[in-house]
Amino acid sequence: MSISSLAALAAAAPLEGGLRQVTLYHYLFVSAAMFCLGVVGFLTRRNLIIMFLCTELMFQAAGLALIAFGRYHLNFTGDVFVIFVLTIAAAEAALALALVVLLFRRKETLDASAWAELRG
Amino acid sequence: MSLFVNPYVLFAGLACSALGVLIALPRKGLNPQAVGGLIAAVGFGAALLALGLRAGEHRPEVWFYIFALIGLGSALRVITHPRPVYAALYFILTILSSAGLYLLLSAEFMAFALIIIYAGAILITYLFVIMLATEAPSGDQIDALSEYDRYSREPVASTAAAFSLLAALVGMLAQGVHQTAPQQPTDAAAALAMMPKKWPIAGDAIRLREDLPLDAVTQRVTPDGKVVMRFPSGWSGNASHPLPRAVGAGETAVFEGPSDVKAEDIELVGFALVGEHPLGLEIAGVILLMAMLGAVVLARKQIQIDESQKVAAAVGAGGRR
Repeated sequence: MSISSLAALAAAAPLEGGLRQVTLYHYLFVSAAMFCLGVVGFLTRRNLIIMFLCTELMFQAAGLALIAFGRYHLNFTGDVFVIFVLTIAAAEAALALALVVLLFRRKETLDASAWAELRG
Repeated sequence: MSLFVNPYVLFAGLACSALGVLIALPRKGLNPQAVGGLIAAVGFGAALLALGLRAGEHRPEVWFYIFALIGLGSALRVITHPRPVYAALYFILTILSSAGLYLLLSAEFMAFALIIIYAGAILITYLFVIMLATEAPSGDQIDALSEYDRYSREPVASTAAAFSLLAALVGMLAQGVHQTAPQQPTDAAAALAMMPKKWPIAGDAIRLREDLPLDAVTQRVTPDGKVVMRFPSGWSGNASHPLPRAVGAGETAVFEGPSDVKAEDIELVGFALVGEHPLGLEIAGVILLMAMLGAVVLARKQIQIDESQKVAAAVGAGGRR
């Protein structure tokens, strides 16, 4: 066949099966570790902005796993979902940061525990 | 089913990195962040090397380890750095190394989209808000950090929770994810057949271009890489370039397509996005519009502050200058 197949497109895939399973595990490990660092940050930090930054870190980790799985399955749905993740991240950043500015103007602090009365 | 890696090595590495993260988290008293980062790096490195031990020649190339080190290290700095501006800058470093990993996976379009959208737009918004919503320094301590940035909340419990999650995820990896074998590869040839604009050199392949304007020829591409051309009637080739013997004017001929036409990454992403997920694309547009409207509505809201507080704030600001 004259057209180069997708396997030739994937430079990370030396064999015809696309990304090897072992290589997939490496990317998944990095993704899982990054996600857990994001979880630690979200739980431990008390600054509202840093907490939202840690959710972005978790988005990053999910995106890496999506791309790696997409290359492993040799299709582009992973890429498409990373585009959607970027969209959601942008929308979330706009709304969350507007909320943070609003909260800061109200209490003059970014401490999450200043809003502890929301606990109910 | 054989285990992929020795799970003891893997979980020992994870426990080591959990200890490192715990040490690096900001807290009261002694705070050796460099030591914690080093221990965490040793732990993550041991786990990664354990994963690659039986990989043989399928081990990822050295750039993977470099980008993973930079990405995880700067992610650790994001969650441990007491100054929000520095945390945001380290997050940009994480994004850059993620883009490097995307490049290693040959997802070029997503790598550069990530850099442009995340590092160029979202993180700049974060930096704006960090600088907008920072408390004015009080008294003569210009460099003083606020209390909620210096101390972390429940470091032990949350590190234990997060690394339990990581151990569960990685334990699944150690056993092998056999259910996720590659199934249906994207048919690059079929995608190419939908891109007739990619084939302007088909005429060159059969050495007809100089005699015959290509737009006089109807051509289309079949999924198996052949070019089908229909010649206009009243033209039958010339002395130097006769038509193939089996073809007359006004008839159809099938040629082997040129071999150097291939679908690029961005074209395949575009076909997957618009062809397979058009509804998602529309919904994404609506979500962005809603977010824009919501941000405008939220930012317009007026906060009533007491006059006495305003006066106090103004006097305080004036006093510092």
